[in-house]
Amino acid sequence: MSMFGSSSNKSSEDVKTALVRQLQQEAAMTNARALIGKINEHCFDACVPAPGSSLSSKESGCLSSCMEKYIAMWNITSRTYVARVGQESKRMGGQDASAIASMATGAPEGGSGVMG
Amino acid sequence: MDPQTQVDISKLSDADKKELNQVLTNEAQKSTIQQTVHHLNDVCWKKCVAGKGKITAGSLDRTEEACAQNCVERWMDTNLSILKNLDSMRGH
Repeated sequence: MSMFGSSSNKSSEDVKTALVRQLQQEAAMTNARALIGKINEHCFDACVPAPGSSLSSKESGCLSSCMEKYIAMWNITSRTYVARVGQESKRMGGQDASAIASMATGAPEGGSGVMG
Repeated sequence: MDPQTQVDISKLSDADKKELNQVLTNEAQKSTIQQTVHHLNDVCWKKCVAGKGKITAGSLDRTEEACAQNCVERWMDTNLSILKNLDSMRGH
C-alpha cells in the first residue's frame, strides 16, 4: 500500500486517480469474494456429499471442474442478463443499451481469469 | 494499513470531484448488476446443473447452456409480469 505514501505533494489529479483505483480494486475484490463464496457453497454440495477424513482425488477433480463450470455459467448469466436489461430499458426509452452493456465489464473474464 | 487516510480529499478540484461522483455512480450500478447476476446464477445453477448427477466437465454442455439462458430470460419475464400485475392491482 506504499503507493499512497507521502501524500504531501499530490495534485488533485493524483488524488483522483488514487481514489478511482482503490474504488475499482475494492469493487473487484467484493465481486470475487461473492463469487468464491457461491462456488464454495455449490461445489461443496455437488462434490463432497459425504465428507471423509480428507478430500479424495475424485473430489478434488470434481471441485476443479465445478469451479470452471460455475464461472462459465456466471459469464453466460451475466451476458444474458445485461443484454435483456438493455433491451427492456431501450423498450421503455430509458438508458441506452450500450451504456448498460459497458457495465458488464466487471464480469470475471474467461475461465480462470477471475483470481488473476 | 488503511490507505484512505493518506489521500487528501481537500486537494480535489471541483471538476475532479464531479468526475469522481460519476465514477462512483457507475461503480454502484455495476455492483448492483453484479449482485443480481450472483443471485441469478445461484438460482439457475440449482435449476440447470445441481442434482443432475456428477459434475464431469469443466464447461457447460449444450443443454445446460440453453437452460442457463432460458433461466435468466424467464426470470426476467417473471419479474416483469409481477410488476405488471402489481400495476394493474393499483387501479382497483
